[in-house]
Amino acid sequence: MLKVTDIGKTYGKFIALENINLEVSDGEFLAIMGPSGSGKSTLINILGLLDQKYTGEYLLKDKSYKDANDNYLSRIRGDQLGFVFQNFKLLTTYSVYENIEVPLIYSKQKQANKRELIEDVINKVGLEGKEKNTPSELSGGQQQRVAIARAIVNRPNLIIADEPTGALDSKTSTEIMDIFTNLNKAGTTIIMVTHDREVADYAMRTVYIRDGHLYNDEKSVKK
Amino acid sequence: MLDKVMIALKSIGKNKNRNFLTMLGIIIGIASVICILAIGDGFTHVATKGMQDHNTKNKVTLEFTASSDEDTKSGFTRDDLAVLEGIKGVDHVKLTSSNPEASVTVQHQTKKTSATLNKVPKRVKLYRGFGTILNSDDTGNIFISKDLADRAFKGKALNKRLVINDNVYVVSGIYKIGDFEYRPDIYVSKTTFKQLFAGQISQDEARLSVQPSANKKAVGKSAVNEMKKFGEDSKLGKYSISHPDQISKSFTKTLNNITYFVAFVAGISLLIAGIGVMNVMYITVSERRKEIGIRRAFGATAGDIRNQFLIESIVLCVIGGLIGIALGYGVVQIINSFLPFKAVVTTYAIIMSLSVSTIVGLVFGFIPANKAAKSPLVGLLKEE
Ligand SMILES: Nc1ncnc2c1ncn2[C@@H]1O[C@H](COP(=O)(O)OP(=O)(O)O)[C@@H](O)[C@H]1O
Ligand SMILES: [Mg+2]
Repeated sequence: MLKVTDIGKTYGKFIALENINLEVSDGEFLAIMGPSGSGKSTLINILGLLDQKYTGEYLLKDKSYKDANDNYLSRIRGDQLGFVFQNFKLLTTYSVYENIEVPLIYSKQKQANKRELIEDVINKVGLEGKEKNTPSELSGGQQQRVAIARAIVNRPNLIIADEPTGALDSKTSTEIMDIFTNLNKAGTTIIMVTHDREVADYAMRTVYIRDGHLYNDEKSVKK
Repeated sequence: MLDKVMIALKSIGKNKNRNFLTMLGIIIGIASVICILAIGDGFTHVATKGMQDHNTKNKVTLEFTASSDEDTKSGFTRDDLAVLEGIKGVDHVKLTSSNPEASVTVQHQTKKTSATLNKVPKRVKLYRGFGTILNSDDTGNIFISKDLADRAFKGKALNKRLVINDNVYVVSGIYKIGDFEYRPDIYVSKTTFKQLFAGQISQDEARLSVQPSANKKAVGKSAVNEMKKFGEDSKLGKYSISHPDQISKSFTKTLNNITYFVAFVAGISLLIAGIGVMNVMYITVSERRKEIGIRRAFGATAGDIRNQFLIESIVLCVIGGLIGIALGYGVVQIINSFLPFKAVVTTYAIIMSLSVSTIVGLVFGFIPANKAAKSPLVGLLKEE
């Protein structure tokens, strides 16, 4: 799915990421763990084509997007990637249905069955009957379900989730992780950032990040 | 497209008060545009009607324009009349005046002032004095305007004596002149006018009745040439064929002044409105950084974002424009009771107004919309 070779990122003199090497295969469910401020979001923003200012090489499906123009990147994000964020990032004045519709508005794909696509993902995340509600009328867990539905409505190859359970209690986190597990079983590749061990245990593989450096097992981090 | 307009309406609806205040400038500006065009269209309508009459009667009007503004004497003379009537194809010629008033000097006691004078119309509504009629052979009485009464008599003018060009008359009535009305300062009886003042008015128009068989244009041309050669006052001014839509000059002038004023108001308020729109769009863009980030992450291009805010700005202005059109329509109904012709709101005026609103939205929304489109994505997604 993707291959990262010697990626680095600095904010002025501050080194946020250094010498990152990572390979993720198709159908994998990868967890990235690390303490706050270690560079997790910085890394997945690069992986999600949200941030193009880095050094090193990043290949997504064997393709480099380093020099791609802004419009092309938008299209790749819309068609191939799906994002889930810690604080949901929903449009607060729009309904559940309209929030899930957002990626379809900008998709170049055929949209004859738009309504069906949306109903389908609403069923998948278990939000039947909530189509007309606004985010403020939903619980945190339900809001994150809306965000997941939005992330998968365009049937992306890769889901990028930045602390998807960070704002949820452990029972709700379990429900959300069950949804992710099912999506992964159905073939979607997932990269998830978390600092919760229990959540990371749902993934097939976990990598660790600390002070901008990536480690493949926890022991090497503690050295 | 419709869904994009719906999104814009929704965002505008969220801040009704703020957006309404922003629209006020557009509303006033567009209402003014509607008024200008309605007056202009109504005027053109009247003028074209006159032109049609003109054509069917097979007439050509020659006009004399004096080089000096003060020159009110020169024009067509009796000899000129004979020359014109001698042109091939001309049936007969009538000399008239574009401004049939006489300019006179009036004196009350030792106070002198200048005034315009004309023969009395059939009826005059008097503000002081009795009746409405001045007999056509009454050579002693005159009516004067309240304005002249104030100027020459400081008010009480009724039954007082007034000297006009060395003759003495008695003021037997005073009339008021409305704001949008044109009347001379003094009315005299028909006989008086003919005997004493008609001769002073320059006859600067010659109406040529052309024989049905002759070519109107060619006759007009040769008439101008003949006058250049033989016209008695040819050194004092220029001859031309008058365009039939030239209605009384003083009236056109008043109308122009009104139009310029309203156009000025319209321009200023549209400019202020545009700046208001720009300001409110800047606020909107900075308030909605999170929304922009979300849309960008899920596939919106910079262009999609720019269009979204541009459409919002245009929709805002067009709503203002629609309200402005309604307001302008109302104002036109009111000014119609003052105008001597009927101002009309045409489809063209409505389309024009909507175009102006769209342009204001487009021009003043562009910079904020571009700012929204150009913001770096990662920063936007950090917003809450
Ligand atoms: N725009 C920025 N400018 C400067 N420093 C930043 C910026 N964004 C993040 N950082 C710093 O980079 C480091 C990694 O941030 P981040 O990737 O957000 O951490 P986390 O692992 O908590 O997601 C932190 O020390 C943070 O302060
Ligand atoms: Mg983070």
